[in-house]
Amino acid sequence: MYYPEPITKLIDSFMKLPGIGPKTAARLAFFVLDMKEEDVLDFAKALVNAKRDLSYCSVCGHITDQDPCAICEDQRRDRSVVCVVQDPKDVIAMEKMKEYNGLYHVLHGAISPMEGIGPEDINVPDLLKRLQDEAIHEVILATNPNIEGEATAMYISRLLKPSGIRVTRIAHGLPVGGDLEYADEVTLSKALEGRREV
Amino acid sequence: MHITELSLENYRNYASLNIELENKVNVFLGENAQGKTNVIESIFVLAMAKSHRTSNDKDLIRWETEYAKIKGRVQKAQGSVPMELIISKKGKKAKCNHLEQQRLSQYIGNMNVVMFAPEDLHLVKGNPQVRRRFIDMEIGQVSPVYLHDISQYYKVLQQRNRYLKQLQSKKVSDVTMLDVFTDQLIQLAVKIVRKRFDFIQLLQNWAQAIHSGISRGGETLNILYDPSINVSEEDDPSKMIHMFEEKFHTQQRKEIERGVTLFGPHRDDLVFQVNGKNVQTFGSQGQQRTTALSVKLAEIELIHSEIKEYPILLLDDVLSELDDYRQSHLLNTIQGRVQTFVTTTSIEGINHQTLKEASTFKVESGTISQMK
Repeated sequence: MYYPEPITKLIDSFMKLPGIGPKTAARLAFFVLDMKEEDVLDFAKALVNAKRDLSYCSVCGHITDQDPCAICEDQRRDRSVVCVVQDPKDVIAMEKMKEYNGLYHVLHGAISPMEGIGPEDINVPDLLKRLQDEAIHEVILATNPNIEGEATAMYISRLLKPSGIRVTRIAHGLPVGGDLEYADEVTLSKALEGRREV
Repeated sequence: MHITELSLENYRNYASLNIELENKVNVFLGENAQGKTNVIESIFVLAMAKSHRTSNDKDLIRWETEYAKIKGRVQKAQGSVPMELIISKKGKKAKCNHLEQQRLSQYIGNMNVVMFAPEDLHLVKGNPQVRRRFIDMEIGQVSPVYLHDISQYYKVLQQRNRYLKQLQSKKVSDVTMLDVFTDQLIQLAVKIVRKRFDFIQLLQNWAQAIHSGISRGGETLNILYDPSINVSEEDDPSKMIHMFEEKFHTQQRKEIERGVTLFGPHRDDLVFQVNGKNVQTFGSQGQQRTTALSVKLAEIELIHSEIKEYPILLLDDVLSELDDYRQSHLLNTIQGRVQTFVTTTSIEGINHQTLKEASTFKVESGTISQMK
């Protein structure tokens, strides 16, 4: 390498982030050199704090700085509905909508034998325990509409069937506000399959 | 439809190539190993985003270069459409009408081709895999939904097989998970089987007439679909689902023992019969050849009936494989209707009007020049 060691180390660190290759990493590293020292300190602190102060909620598995998380603690929410999602980012997406007032359960992945992920490797056992302990009437399955997400949803719904809890799956098909003519054939055929009476 | 321009960059043995093509028969003439098949293959790849010769896309990139690029302009009834396919070591990028296509299932079907190569004789006598590949490619050209279903099917199949292996080695014991994969598999399998029934029926209708023509009325060709479980064409989807469920249910132990999925469209086959006899086992070489030719010509008509335009025909080194009578039958069928690309080492001995009017290109170690 032609760079002094501290820069090389910094470039290496940036390259550990997703989507960043050697050139972008070098550009970022040199930008950091030009930053004010206090800004760099803030940046470094923010990184460390995010890692140190955040953990996963012991109830729902969402990222949080307190345990249980703010959503699980919030008594104004509808505690009889649980929405099952794959990822903490999905919780954020649902929360942005501001229409859903129930609780969440984050699986941290989807079932995929090809990747060696079985039901016990994602947060499913915790979900079952939760359903036994709490008075929950409906479980909304909001895993991604692909093969793995669909398999996960089907698996959970089978496990819950004997319990008598209402299990629902979010709809998929055409995006709202879009034009029919711009939809691709596959999406359109899914939308047709999922049509309902009005 | 026909292709008016073709340009290649770092494709196989072509560093760069630009040719203009006419809507008639185009003959690529040259010695062996000069790159005749590569040109025809590139047209196929431009249409189907994969090669008929190799499943490894990297083979298409010229030695010691980073990417291969194929560009073409396709003239259709509604207008002319530029198509572009870039193959790099990281993957493929497809553009249709200058717009990048996110899904290949969206791209395939914009340009329709029918390829007839010496390997196509395996369609009749080769293993079932060859025939399934043929069915999938042909339905896929006219139905993007089928293409999507089949790719989803193979994904579920992989997951299910892996899970069966885990059950077999007793790493897991949860049969509920297997049921989930079975359910997913059946949903897709039924859609695929349904489409295959329809397609094979249509194909037979066309092929029967053509085959009777080639054999001068002496032979009747039947194409039968041989699905992995005993469903029939009249069964409605719910009945098919039920039959699949029962099969998987009764054979579960066997599947776990073997660690693979034993039923489904990945085990389907086609049967060709001439005068009621299976051509694969009882047919002569000549009958097998005639059958393959009939099926290929039927494909041209089938695509025409589906999209109201004739596909582009690619004949790789097959004219010499056919006798005079079959040759002229083939050439009569395409005459003036289908843009055709032919590769051959020599056109002497083929005495047909279509070839006399053809534009001829000389292929020599990765360069192509038009002959007057």
